[in-house]
Amino acid sequence: MIALVLVLPVCLGVCSLIAKNRLVNRIALIGTAMVYVAVPFAQGMNIVWTVQPSWLTTYFQFDTIGLYFFCIMTVVFCSAAVYSLFYFKIHALSAKQEALYVLEILLFVVSMSGVILSTHLALLWVFVEASTLTSAMLIYFEKKKSSLEAAWKYVFICSIGIALAFVGIIVLSIGSRHIDSFFFRDLYARATEINPFWLKVSFAFIFVGLGTKIGVAPIHAWLPDAHSEAPSPVSALLSGALLNSALLGLLRVQEIFIRARLDSFSNFLFLITGMLSLMVSAVFMLRLKNYKRMLAYSSIENMGILFIGIALGRYGLFAALLHTLAHSLSKASLFLTSGNILYFYKTKKIDEVNGLLKTDPRTGWLWIVSMLAIVGFPPFPIFISKFLIIKAFWLNGMSWLAIPFFLFVVVVMYGMGSTVFKMAFGDSPRTTAVHSKLPASAFVPQLVLLIILCLIALHMPRQVMDVLHGATIFFQ
Amino acid sequence: MTDILIILLGTSMLYVFAVSRIEAYVKTLAFQGFLLFLLVIIDIQEIDWLNIAFLSLETLVIKTMVIPYFLFTVIRKNEIAREVEPYITQFYSLIIASAIFIFGFVAAFWAATTNAGIKPLYFGVSIMLIVSSLFLIVNRKTIITHILCYMMLENGIFLLSLSVANELPLLVNLGVLLDLFVGVYLFVIFFNKIQEMYDGSRIDELTDLKDE
Repeated sequence: MIALVLVLPVCLGVCSLIAKNRLVNRIALIGTAMVYVAVPFAQGMNIVWTVQPSWLTTYFQFDTIGLYFFCIMTVVFCSAAVYSLFYFKIHALSAKQEALYVLEILLFVVSMSGVILSTHLALLWVFVEASTLTSAMLIYFEKKKSSLEAAWKYVFICSIGIALAFVGIIVLSIGSRHIDSFFFRDLYARATEINPFWLKVSFAFIFVGLGTKIGVAPIHAWLPDAHSEAPSPVSALLSGALLNSALLGLLRVQEIFIRARLDSFSNFLFLITGMLSLMVSAVFMLRLKNYKRMLAYSSIENMGILFIGIALGRYGLFAALLHTLAHSLSKASLFLTSGNILYFYKTKKIDEVNGLLKTDPRTGWLWIVSMLAIVGFPPFPIFISKFLIIKAFWLNGMSWLAIPFFLFVVVVMYGMGSTVFKMAFGDSPRTTAVHSKLPASAFVPQLVLLIILCLIALHMPRQVMDVLHGATIFFQ
Repeated sequence: MTDILIILLGTSMLYVFAVSRIEAYVKTLAFQGFLLFLLVIIDIQEIDWLNIAFLSLETLVIKTMVIPYFLFTVIRKNEIAREVEPYITQFYSLIIASAIFIFGFVAAFWAATTNAGIKPLYFGVSIMLIVSSLFLIVNRKTIITHILCYMMLENGIFLLSLSVANELPLLVNLGVLLDLFVGVYLFVIFFNKIQEMYDGSRIDELTDLKDE
């Protein structure tokens, strides 16, 4: 199973690079997506692969929380893979360029799966850095001056951040000399034996390192640039899957703190950065001129909300995990739709986009409904998760903090809402009006994502609930 | 003997603060790699031969030869001679460098008093290497210097990992090395592209993307 997830996509990617054939490219991309969909089902049915090397299962495993994050990544990846077919078409990519894109995106997905499945802290670090390197190539895929700038800032800032996370891992090894292992199971089992001082120092480093990757304020500098300059399906993956995988790394480290009964220290850091991220995104949301950057700032906001949820301990964790799922799906839908807008208007400037509903009603409605999903209108699950977080403030006796939280969330809601409505309504400029019809790959992925979101909020299927519940019981 | 090597490592960092020729940076980087190699073979006796072989390969081949050679060719090809004016002048940089150096020694003394089982001098100098490379990255304008200082940061982290005796599994070590290598390779690709597109390689030219 694990070999399928980690090795097969690499093989398929290399095949497509060698073959340089459009059909092979599509088979590699969609085939990997289908295998990824099949894996959680096989896991749910307890199908065990008999032939796999033991070292592979020592270092990589599906645990409950890993399975949950893997499912989210798979849904986002599938939608991005299908949308990529539309991306290939509108950019008239040659078979060779397509093959390169497919290889890069498959390597990127494999590195994220590596982060999710690692059972060893340092190996998790290796894959986090690998995911930075593979995604940097994708950000620069369109080979424009601006995307080069974005890719450079991204790869350099994140590499420095992740190098600091490695310092954190070494510092942790000072505090856990007698444990002499970086396997999470050993660290969890003997968490109380780790020297609290070194554990706290190491957390500070790991927090800064992975926090850079997650894109929380004040270490978010790369995020708006990278998300706005990457091709739309890649932006969807960056926001919907990459940030989550780094977050999972941090959650695994947080569990050491919970077991060592030092979580009041880590929760404080989560709360401060979460609130700061909310504030930064609220401030910037009102003055943005680029709609893809707007989505990027919304990612910073949602990562802030997740951090706050984690900080609120057991009351907030369920909300945070539900929010992870809801944010990933809604944001993927928004980024993919922004690809359609870019196709119609050839600009990312908010001022130059008007009358989206008249230009293309399907894109217009997808844009509006996805916005409603991300800001948390009922019946979308973000409404539930935000509501639960406000409740968790109450239960933790920090009800006064719910006021700034609510205020920032409302400001972001206003900022995004006014921008999206401004773009959707009004008269469509003549230059953009006549276009060929959109193929299904340009709107079906978003539609499916939004339907899944509605289903989760209105009537969550038992299987999804089981996986979500499994993720919450990961924490003691 | 190891103490002398470590002091040399620290001094090499001070030297970087004082020079402005980029080639001197690369030579220092190679020198640091060689010092780390000597440290690995002199100081560590107890780990198994596979790990020793791997560590010496990493320090001698990758850190001392391959990466510096790679960067040298890039610098020659692009004809970059020296660092353009840093944000803070050389004189003040040296004062700050000395302060970081002192901080490193304080950290070493402090580490000697705790019972954590770290080698004090290794610990202090590695902290000094890490902090001063971060400072240099912030203070320098050319992108190639950023790449060089990133490598020095990695050297500092390597030294820090030597200060603690815990071993990582070989698979993980390989992964770390691969990441580092691919990272530098990618940096250089981007650096070359920036040279082509921006007709220069100063970080303050990369200002197209902003929020207004």
